[in-house]
Amino acid sequence: MTRPLLGITILEIDGPHTPLCIRLATSLAAKIAADLGARVLKLEPPGGDMVRTTPPLLPADGRSALFQFLNTSKRSITLPTDRRAALDALLAGRIDAALYEEGDVVAAALLAERNVARVEIAGWPESMPQPHPPLSGFTVLALGGLLDMVGEADREPLRLGGHQGSYPAGLAAFTALMAQLAAKNVPPARVSLVEALLWVNWKAAAGAHADGKAPTRDGTRSEFQVVPCADGHIALVYGVTQFDAVAALIADPRLNDPRFATRPERRRLITEIYDVLKPWCATRTRAEIYKAAQARGIPFGAIVTPFELISDPQMVDRGFIVDMDGLKMPRLPVLWNGTGFAPSPLIEEAGR
Amino acid sequence: MKPLSGIRVLDFGLLTAGANTSAMLADLGADVVKIESGAYMDPFRTVGQRDTAPGWWNRSPQFHFTNRNKRGVALNLKHAEGRRLILELAKGCDVVVENFRRGVLERFGLDYAALKAVNPRIVLASISSQGDTGPNRLHASYGSTLDATGGMAALTGYADDGLPRISGMDVNYPDQVVSLLASGLVIAAVMNARRTGEGALLDISQREIASFMIGEEIVAAGADPKRRAPPRQGNAQDGIASQRCYRCTDGRWVAVTLRDANDEMTSKRVTAQMNLAEWCAARGASDATAELNAAGLAAAVVRDGMDLIRERNLAGDTLAWLPDGGLVKGMPYRFAGVPLVVERRAPDLGEHTNETLRELLGLDDDALAKLAALGVTSAEPERI
Repeated sequence: MTRPLLGITILEIDGPHTPLCIRLATSLAAKIAADLGARVLKLEPPGGDMVRTTPPLLPADGRSALFQFLNTSKRSITLPTDRRAALDALLAGRIDAALYEEGDVVAAALLAERNVARVEIAGWPESMPQPHPPLSGFTVLALGGLLDMVGEADREPLRLGGHQGSYPAGLAAFTALMAQLAAKNVPPARVSLVEALLWVNWKAAAGAHADGKAPTRDGTRSEFQVVPCADGHIALVYGVTQFDAVAALIADPRLNDPRFATRPERRRLITEIYDVLKPWCATRTRAEIYKAAQARGIPFGAIVTPFELISDPQMVDRGFIVDMDGLKMPRLPVLWNGTGFAPSPLIEEAGR
Repeated sequence: MKPLSGIRVLDFGLLTAGANTSAMLADLGADVVKIESGAYMDPFRTVGQRDTAPGWWNRSPQFHFTNRNKRGVALNLKHAEGRRLILELAKGCDVVVENFRRGVLERFGLDYAALKAVNPRIVLASISSQGDTGPNRLHASYGSTLDATGGMAALTGYADDGLPRISGMDVNYPDQVVSLLASGLVIAAVMNARRTGEGALLDISQREIASFMIGEEIVAAGADPKRRAPPRQGNAQDGIASQRCYRCTDGRWVAVTLRDANDEMTSKRVTAQMNLAEWCAARGASDATAELNAAGLAAAVVRDGMDLIRERNLAGDTLAWLPDGGLVKGMPYRFAGVPLVVERRAPDLGEHTNETLRELLGLDDDALAKLAALGVTSAEPERI
């Protein structure tokens, strides 16, 4: 299978003063294009991309697992202190599109001058009055309202694992990049971390608009909870019409209590319901519970660690995690006419 | 210039993952024809039911958020004539998006082989929980199932109670990120089809996307035995000196990241050597944030859904306000000089059936009347 973006050349221009959270989005967008076959030149600032030293670090050689993940299939060039001349020389070649970062005035000016198809990755929405306060991936989660949705109502709001303040913007930037390539003279695009995250969290806005009240985190008062089982944890997730199916699965007469007949009442009495569900889960393994639930079409989910994913039968069958120079590396989450696109290690070119 | 003008999409997308992939293509200029029927509606019409008066299925906020800028056609796939018309429509389409349960498309004779037979350039984006292949291909999931089975929940949680956390039913995070990637993949496939004359089957697994969103943790766990049991550390993060939320006098939370020792020193200066928790507890969230920001620190008041609809500068283009006060989804990016405009509200069930079949297949009044009489184009929900 020929990769779909073969023959396309894309610049990932890493700015010299870009905050980490923005860089993660830029690099993710460019990585997806690279794994799809585009020739991606990653232009690192003098001194290199700060992600090279960002944890998690690999025990063998101290390289960053994060950097390895975000920079597959690219070629890297570290620009000299005079970035303008080096960048100008690169732009004289055939470049189909570029990703660049807010605050990189050199890149912005040169790309505009040559009218290169481009996507800017930024922190704040353009509509926010200046000056824009500093951002982290964590404060992006706060601003997009996602932090408010996770955790216990009476405790500190909780971030999702990984870099979810950055990655939605990275995916959006990839799609904006594809839109740049799809037609001639598409106006330059801009993606901000805050907007992408807020867009992902649209249900909070939709709920607030419809009800005049924001949905918020309700942890162990929620209908969906994570509970301990014999060998770990299981997320009890099911459809609003599936309570009877859950009751049939657990087969405990207490769940047939007429007080649990309607959803509003079940929500009110959720602690009592979980008092029945928890002991049932506690004596069974994740695999037993998952299998029994799936047999009834109930989408409970076993809590699986990243390490366990590597040997997960479904992941193995689909070849989702590939060996890349001794590293376990996820491929792009798509099979293209049945083929997965194996990522390859970053190629370091001599500095210019 | 709309990047996807001239591209036509046949949309079987349901709920967020499927329907929003098509919606993003519509926003970029594609002509998206959403296919439902009285026999099978997008579940968002039911999930978001607000009342029981006739036509309630056209008033769901979730459906409106996710299906604006599309036309709506009712064609019953259980009817042979409905399936024949789908294949006729597919001849003139560039893309088909679907996220049915696995096996449904085959059962209707509308799988990739059938679509390709009538249109070799067609791109089929098949979005499913686990992918089209593998021992778990038939397994069902909701977004929060995939928080668990994709690996993110294992990394999410307070440091002190040992409990992994999911994003929950009001977020279903894994469902929300699918379309951000899937729509870009579809565009890449359409460009490739234009060049080569060959379409593609994109088999997109939502669970794989959920795991991709923590890709570096898979790399790290594969290389470092110490990371096999992943750390749940609340809001703290490796490589960050200090990161957490603080409650202020007004009861609101402020999220603060102190990247390194320099940030910690700055924080000490701002708080006159107090610890941040005490300092925040003595002032309002906005004031605390403003002082920390002014010193160059990353701090933000934790927003809730009401804030998101109130603070229009913050929402930018991600929410679109309609002239009648309605609210629907905007776009996650902005194109210079192109204002966010919702050209069509989400379609009523079957709203554009006749005009679309006339325009795209040249059907006349007689043919349309026959389809209606057979029930092929019925837009009355059968099951409620």
